[in-house]
Amino acid sequence: MGIGKEVSAADGRGAVSGRGAAASPIEFRLDAGSGVPTYLQLVQQVEHAMRLGYLKPGDQLPKVRDVVAALAINPNTVLKAYRDLEIKGLAAGRPGQGTFVQATLSQVALPELTALRRSLSGWLTAADGAGLDEDGIVALFTSALRDFYERRSGSRARGGAASDGTEGVA
Amino acid sequence: MTALSVPALPAEDARLRPVPWRRMAWVTWRQHRIALTGLVVFLGAVAVLIWTVGLRLRHSYAAAAACHPASSIACSHLISTFTVGGFLANGYNLQAVPAVIGAFAGAPVLARELETGTFRYAWTQGFGRWRWVLAKLVPLAVTVTAAAGAFSALLSWYYQPLFLARKPLTLFPIPSNSLAAGLFDLRGVAFAAWTLAAFAIGALAGMLIRRVVIAMAATLAAYAGLAFAAGLYLRLHYLPPALARNSFSFFVSDPSRPVVVVSQWWTKGGTTLSPSAMNQVINSTFQRMMPAAHSSQEGAVAALKQPTNLRVLHYLGQHGYTEWTRYQPAGRFWPLQWIEGGWLLALSVLLIGAVVWLVRRRAA
Amino acid sequence: MNVVETRGLGKRYRSTWALRECTLAIPAGRVAALVGPNGAGKTTLLNLAVGLAAPSEGEVTVLGGRPAGSPAALDGIAFVAQDTPMYKNLSAADMLHLTRNLNRRFDQHYAEARLADLGIPLKRKAGKLSGGQQAQLALTLALARHPRLLLLDEPVAMLDPIARHDFMATVLTAMADDGVSVLLSSHVLAELERVADYLIVLSRGRVQVAGEVDDLLASHRVLTGPAAEAATCAGRRAVHLRRGEVQAHLLVRSAADDPVPVGWEAHPVGLEELVLAYLREPGASEPRELAALRKAEPSEVTK
Repeated sequence: MGIGKEVSAADGRGAVSGRGAAASPIEFRLDAGSGVPTYLQLVQQVEHAMRLGYLKPGDQLPKVRDVVAALAINPNTVLKAYRDLEIKGLAAGRPGQGTFVQATLSQVALPELTALRRSLSGWLTAADGAGLDEDGIVALFTSALRDFYERRSGSRARGGAASDGTEGVA
Repeated sequence: MTALSVPALPAEDARLRPVPWRRMAWVTWRQHRIALTGLVVFLGAVAVLIWTVGLRLRHSYAAAAACHPASSIACSHLISTFTVGGFLANGYNLQAVPAVIGAFAGAPVLARELETGTFRYAWTQGFGRWRWVLAKLVPLAVTVTAAAGAFSALLSWYYQPLFLARKPLTLFPIPSNSLAAGLFDLRGVAFAAWTLAAFAIGALAGMLIRRVVIAMAATLAAYAGLAFAAGLYLRLHYLPPALARNSFSFFVSDPSRPVVVVSQWWTKGGTTLSPSAMNQVINSTFQRMMPAAHSSQEGAVAALKQPTNLRVLHYLGQHGYTEWTRYQPAGRFWPLQWIEGGWLLALSVLLIGAVVWLVRRRAA
Repeated sequence: MNVVETRGLGKRYRSTWALRECTLAIPAGRVAALVGPNGAGKTTLLNLAVGLAAPSEGEVTVLGGRPAGSPAALDGIAFVAQDTPMYKNLSAADMLHLTRNLNRRFDQHYAEARLADLGIPLKRKAGKLSGGQQAQLALTLALARHPRLLLLDEPVAMLDPIARHDFMATVLTAMADDGVSVLLSSHVLAELERVADYLIVLSRGRVQVAGEVDDLLASHRVLTGPAAEAATCAGRRAVHLRRGEVQAHLLVRSAADDPVPVGWEAHPVGLEELVLAYLREPGASEPRELAALRKAEPSEVTK
């Protein structure tokens, strides 16, 4: 790694402003109190930006140095987030240049969405019949959702097949 | 799992050449320039004073020396102007100069770093702890000693008339004795050596006490103790004192033979007489020979200083009393100077070495 | 390479041991956080690593085996002490000149650019700068030496939030640019998770926890369940217990896929919660087992 010779345009207080063609379309923000690990927040923000169209394939993700200067987080965290995105197949690093968006998030096809919606309504009816109120439903669903993804990321870390990035409808 | 590549340290790190000594020159200057300029200003101001008074002294001496006959009223008036003009004849005021220099130049060097905590910066730089302190103390010591040496040359010039006065004018009652405690260490190499010693004491005090003001006070106290011990006792014994028998001139201040008396006693028939017994003998002899003189005790002793009382002493000598005197003659001025300068230099080196050793040890 | 290695390190002042039986191996390329209450021995450990204090027992080496305080170690380590000591009468430019003269490596260009960025005038005396500016100046001097290891003793304790943010941003940017490893001591836990990826918990002069943050978080979790079963639930792997009348929370050492006891729920644990739990159990330490569960007063149920 070389010594950063260019005088940074950031004073660390606010957002990093773009420097011509090398700028990234997005900015990261950090919600320190949310309880979500930092690197995961970065990953989620990238995926969210991709979903909403802020990031298209070929766009560059913010340079590690700029993220660190703006948010005062550990560079290893940023690297971990970018590596996570690479594993998911969403981004790719180019040596000496940065990390670039590679794919689009696969959208779920409409018929599949409709079928999922219908099965969800069925489950809600059953839960309501069992006596769960709205908060109870939310708690149960959130806990099951978390367990699902924990188990999933655990199996992925153990060398499971890379997913195609399919995300459920949030 | 190392996320960032860490460049490997080059193999030559094992044989790192130390940062050159000369780099500390600017550091020492920049951090102590106030103390050094203060030193120059202080000595300069005192030097101007000495210079003006010294010129006056010389004029006064020339006038008194040129006046003939020496015993006339007019001439004795000039002579008394010369002798009682308050010309720092004892030199005691100037004794403070080395002490002040040592306290103000030496003590803060380490005390300030330790007191303010800046040693946590200074001793973690690449230059290294003990080299840093050595590169500060040695140039400062040399500068301070050189300035003191130059100043003492001026003092020698100043005191010339007072020493010359011994020779032609026997009426000068109190000539300056170059071996006298207050004057010896203002001239020759002693003044510079004492300044160096004061600086070294200050540096060690600063290292041990770690508070600037207290270290300064301790330096002054330690210096005073050492100076008194040297002036009142040590100096008299650098060389074995000479022994004189019946040299009654020592009872009167013989201008032609200035000495410093180490000890004096009387014997009669082989046995030493106590000072009180001898005083009684002298008094009774004096009373018999000069019944009109003072009868009080202190008057009698003071009267012994008059040249005419040599007759009393000669009389005693002819009646079996022997006076013995141990003394250091003024001709030994330079050997005594070198000895004093020598042990002060050795002490300074030892003290500065102790400071460096302590600095090294505090961390290792 | 381990930037700091200690073996059985101990330091005694008069009759009290400020640090005892400290054995660590901090790898390079990390931000290692040294946490613990006041008087736990953080400053002592840093002073030993940088050579300002000598060990009473044991040994400490830095930068891959170099003795602490040796010329090679001093060359590669930059230290910013607590309260950032500074020569108050020297200007910022003088401090740059001073540091340049005292070190083998000094990047004057970087230092001047950095101070210009921060708006610190070169001609102003260091004593006239604000607390945040003094801290940034001290950090600039340290980073301009391009050290391999940066040691910071409670660097942000006296700074306001903006100054704190800027300070840490500078440190971490230097890490991103230069590959410098960082060991910093702090007792502000809330910001650690963002910054630290290696954790050392000191308590009463002894190391309680030492390891990568990811590993620590992955190897601990909180079990919530009936208070009556708390004593038998995790046995010797329990670290800290908080219990109410009926419900208890137990911080245990276990892997994520260890089976959860029936009737209990498992939650992941955050860094701050982990550190606080260990600090509350001085007898607990990561390599050693908790002797007995502490019976606490019924305490407020979290979550």
